[in-house]
Parts: sequence; C-alpha cells; structure tokens
Amino acid sequence: MIRLGIVILVLAAGACREETEVPAATNATGAENAIVIAPHDDRIFAGGIAPPAEKVVNSAARDAKAADVGATLFTGMNCDGCHGGGAVGAVGPSLTDGRWRYGGADADIYRSIAEGRPKGMPAFGGVLQPAMIWRLVAYIKSLPAPKDVPTESWQ
Amino acid sequence: MRRSAAALALSIACAFVAPRAAAQTAAAPGDWTMPSKDFAATRYSELSQITPANAKNLHPVWTFSTGTLGGHEGQPLVVHNTMYVVTPYPNVLYAFDLTKEGYPLKWKYRPNVDPNSIGIACCDVVNRGAVYAGGKIVYNLLDGHTVAVDAASGKELWMTKIADLAAGETTPMAPLIVKDRVLVGASGGEFGILGWVKGLDLATGKVVWTATNIGPDSLVLAKAGTFKAFYDKGAQLGQTTWPADTWKHGGAPVWGWMSYDPELDLVYYGVGNPGPYNADQRMGDNKWTASVLARHPGDGSLVWAYQFTPHDSWDFDAAAEMILVDLKIGGKMRKTLVHFDKNGFEYTMDRATGEVLLAEPYVKVNWASKIDLATGRPVLTDSKQTGASRGNVKDICPTLEGGKSPASPVAYSPRTGLFYASTNSMCMDYEAVQTAHLKGTPFMGINSPYHAGTDPNMGAFIAWDATTGKRAWTIKEPFPVWSGSLATRGDVVFYGTLDGWFKAANAKSGEVLWKFKVGSGVVGDPITYTGADGKQYVAIYAGIGGDWLLLSGDYKSDDPADVRDPADFARNLARHTSQGGIVWIFAL
Repeated sequence: MIRLGIVILVLAAGACREETEVPAATNATGAENAIVIAPHDDRIFAGGIAPPAEKVVNSAARDAKAADVGATLFTGMNCDGCHGGGAVGAVGPSLTDGRWRYGGADADIYRSIAEGRPKGMPAFGGVLQPAMIWRLVAYIKSLPAPKDVPTESWQ
Repeated sequence: MRRSAAALALSIACAFVAPRAAAQTAAAPGDWTMPSKDFAATRYSELSQITPANAKNLHPVWTFSTGTLGGHEGQPLVVHNTMYVVTPYPNVLYAFDLTKEGYPLKWKYRPNVDPNSIGIACCDVVNRGAVYAGGKIVYNLLDGHTVAVDAASGKELWMTKIADLAAGETTPMAPLIVKDRVLVGASGGEFGILGWVKGLDLATGKVVWTATNIGPDSLVLAKAGTFKAFYDKGAQLGQTTWPADTWKHGGAPVWGWMSYDPELDLVYYGVGNPGPYNADQRMGDNKWTASVLARHPGDGSLVWAYQFTPHDSWDFDAAAEMILVDLKIGGKMRKTLVHFDKNGFEYTMDRATGEVLLAEPYVKVNWASKIDLATGRPVLTDSKQTGASRGNVKDICPTLEGGKSPASPVAYSPRTGLFYASTNSMCMDYEAVQTAHLKGTPFMGINSPYHAGTDPNMGAFIAWDATTGKRAWTIKEPFPVWSGSLATRGDVVFYGTLDGWFKAANAKSGEVLWKFKVGSGVVGDPITYTGADGKQYVAIYAGIGGDWLLLSGDYKSDDPADVRDPADFARNLARHTSQGGIVWIFAL
C-alpha cells in the first residue's frame, strides 16, 4: 500500500509573516497558498476513531523551485552528514526507500525536521524558518522512491 | 591491663585484616581486568593449556544473547570468577557467576541512557568495554556519562557527566584506570567537537583535570619545561597549526585504547581525525589530531606528542592502541611504542621521547611513499591529496576505515616477538566539499565510497615484526577483518571475521587450527581466562556492527522502515551474517 498524504491546495488570501506559520496553525487567514491536512493514516485509532485531522500551512507550496532550494539546504544544514548524499541513508535512515519510521506524510516529515525525533534527529525548528523546512520537505518528497522489493536473494 | 592488652591485640588483628580485604580486590593472573589485558596493551595472556596440538578440540561451553543489535566491539572482563559484559546502547552491564552451572546472572545494571546518543554517535552505538579496579567496574555510557558500579553488588557508586551530547560528543571508548585516576575521552570527530581527555577521581568520579587535544597550550596542558616534542619546535602548536579559530571545532576525538608505562608514569593514547573532512577548510598541520599524546595521568600534563598524519586529509584517525614493549632495534634494546595507524604505516617509536625508530607500510599505501625518519613526516603523493579544491580524488589506499581499524586492537606475543593484526585491503575515492559547522549536526563535507584494492581478498590477519617492519605470515580473508586479536603463551592466537567465524591460529606459522561459526560477524576482541575449575577459557562477542553495520544487509534489523541494499563492494557478506549480540565461551 502506498500511503498518500491528503494535500488540499487552496488559494492564498495573501502573504503573511512566516513566524506565524507554525505547524498545526488553524488560522486560515495565515495561509499563504496551501493547507496540508495530517491524515494520521498510519496510526492505530483507539475505538477505531481517527482524531480530527490537523491543518498545517505549507508556506512553500507555491514555490516551483522549492525542491531545488531544499536540495541546497539538505547539504547546507548537514542533513547529508547523517542521511547521506541524496538522502539514500548513512548513519541516519534512508529517506528514499518509501518506508518511514515516523510517517511519510508531508506534515510528518515537517515535524521530524522542525521538532526532531528522539533517536538523535536534531530539531531544526530553531535555525530554519517554516518556509525553509517546507522546501526541505519538497526536496525529500521529490526523490524517487525505488520499487519496494522486500526479498533479497542470492540464488 | 589485661583488658587493654586484649584490645590492643584486637586492634592489631584488625590492622592485618584490612590489608587482606584490600588484597582481595587484586586480580588473579588468570583474570582479565582491563580492556587490553595489561597496561602495556599487549592482549597477551600467560595461559597455556590451549596449544596448537589441542586447539582442534575447542568447543562452545556457553552462550548468552545480549538482546541488543548494535555492533559488539570491545571485550568482557573476568574478575574473581565473575564475567562482566557491557552491551552496546543501552549499555546494560551484566555480571555472570562463573562458579555456577550455566553461569547465571549475579545482577544486571540498567542505566538510563539518552536515546539521542543513537543519532549523535557517528558509527553505530558501540561500547568498547569496561575496566576493573579497586572493587569497581567503570565504563562509559554512550550519552556522555562515566559510571562506577560496585563489582560485587551491582550498585551504582557514582555517575559523572563527562561529555556534551548536544555538542556532538558521545563516549563509546573504554576507560583506563591508573592508580586513582579514571581516564576517559569522547568521540565526535564527525561533529566538530573540541576533543579532550579527562582524569576522574576513582573514588568519587569527580573530574580532576581536562586536557584538550587541540587548541592553546593552556587547554592542551602543554607546560614549558614539561612538554617536549621530538620533531616539533615552538609553543602553542595546537593553535598555530590551524587557521584562526578553526581548532574550536577541529574534532580530535579519543575513541580507542589507552596504555600506561608505570616507570615513565606516562599514559599514551591516539587522537582521531581533524574536522571537517574537507581539509581545505583547515590549512596547516592541525596538531594534535591524528597523533599520539603522552601525558602524566595524575595531572594530565602533556610530556610529548607526535603527529602521524599532519593535515590529515583522509580521516586517518590515530585512535588505535599504543603497545608498550621493549624491542631490539638496530642491535639495541629500546623502550618502544608500537602503533598500527589507520594511514597504513606501522610505527615503532621510542616511548620516552616520541622519536620514530621505524615506520613501514603493513598494507598497500599510496597517499605517501614513506615516512621520513629525520623529520618524522610522511613523504606525500601529490595526486592523492584531497580537499574541495581537488574534486573527486580516486583510488586512495587505504580507506578511511584504515589499513587496520582502531576498533580492532592488535595483540603481541613476547614468545614469538610478533604482533598480530586484523587488516583491511581496500581503497577509496574521496570527494570533499565545503561544509559549515552547525552545533549538534555533522561537520564532515565528504563523499567517500570504498572499493576492494588490487587484492581480491579485502582483509587479512597478519603476524608482523615491528623490529624490521615485515610480515611474518598472512591469513587471507575474503572480507575486511575487524576483530581484535588475542595472543597466548600456548602459542595460539585468536581472531574473528565479519562473516561470523571465530578462529584459532598457530602463532608461529599462521596455520588455522580451528574455527567455529558464531552466529554474527565478529567486531569484538577475544579474551582468555582461568575458570573456577582451573581450566582455560576463551570468550568472544559476536554481533556485526560499528562501521560495518551497513554490510550486514540490514541497517537496523529491528526497523522495517529502514531496509537498504548492502554496500556494493561486499554484497555477499550479507549471506553470512545478521545483526545481534551473542557472548560465546569456548574451552577444550
């Protein structure tokens, strides 16, 4: 199964200051041009009921060069030091195998970068503005995931 | 009168009892109390029941799953019929009762180790072992703490924060205890740390002194009148050999093994690589990275230093062990230090002064043609120098894994006069790029794939004569060899392989006498000890990892979200091993 985050594009009411565009922002007037709804589709729901989807603002969604800028950031912020050049994995996990430890929806990847993860992934939210983190998300999502072949054979 | 005489007699009796109790903390000859067996770091045991004639009868007598998947580097300790095992993260300490059938646990100690250390550790979550002294087991937790645990009860005696995880420091190295000083260092050569060693008080864990490996003399503890390098003149060498303030993030980690000469009262240790890997960003020698430092353990003062690889442009850490033995060089007995550097040269040095007496390549080397003994400096091959300005430099030998890894320490037998080393025969491309320091993130600037060298065998276990710089014999292995070595008075040497074989060989001839498949690749170091029944036992960890975790085929075998192809140059290795730690004990 390929999991897809639900991405709803909306027209922006206008530009806004990035500082207000923290994840889980519900202020629709703060939206530049996109809302990503975190779908929680890789979770187990107590009672079988999913929690209400959170809306987060992708403030780089209108940037056609977002992935290119993200690629530069990926090297510049030393992401490649752990995840390897091209994010193919080194000491840190591969980000190109289509498999995700903390979820592969845009909002999940955003949170991994902004807030860090407990096995040593640093939180970059203090040094990167949200629009830059979204560009990193765009880069990571632009990488081609190989076909998932779970069997490795030597015969 | 009579009463007071009795009281006096009692107090005398007590006075005699106290030293006897203290003596009980002294180790027996058949014990293994410190990482490298002895202060000289020989990994040589006087035990001789196992011989070339009977080694074929070795068989497993006990195994134990450590329940952890990280690389099982290092070695157990055996003290007073108790075996102590430290696991990789989360650094559980197990104490096994060797007097009872099945060697049940006496206790286990489970520290609360910060999981962030998993990602800050450069190269898997390894731990290189504990050290015993004065009734205490002392070891480092990966997240920058040193702990002392009561060897009898397992109770924590003290825990000291020695390193700053947030600054990229982790602590997988095995401490050494010299008198009342616990000596520790930190990893982080890939995270732009300012590398150091510290001397802790054994009784309390308090940090008595801190000495950096780079920077001004005041931090390096290089005092006028005490410090004298054999080849280098002048002061502030740890600062003036760097551009501006680059030493402040210049790496210089300490992650290998320490040794000690009681007569000279000097502790020796190797310093790792300079950061970043892009050498263009730190023009100069970058002292004292890729160096050996000799310090007084009491106050940390630096006595001499020698840099194996000035301006290291290949990640040639000098973290490997310094073996302290007396050898006949040029017809004269010398107090020597023998070191197999990652850069591919074996150095035989005067351990009192730091003079290089001999330096010969023990594997294929092409970054330098030789070491000039007059200057102590390598004669460089221009086409193999690296840096962002030089683009992708191809076919450098050896690789940044080293001709021999510091993670796989050498053993020395005084009976044969030979050193036994696990070696790697590989080459690399090295493409450095500009990089910026950002605290808590890697500071590297490198893309460096490896490949096999001209020899189809990527590894070998060798016997080496450090008085002549020549091999005595070679056992070829298909994969890089990454275990430590053990030498014994029975003239049997032991080592393990990445494809999961534990082997015994004749120390004189290199004939393989016996082998056993231990369930996972071996990156640990064998030990031998006398059991409660008086028999000789040999113990080894299985559990591939460290730099080689990629080669096992699963990056993290407990994580379905991170499955990758094995590295191209050793694709077949994954047929022979998976991750997971096992302690093995063998006997005749």
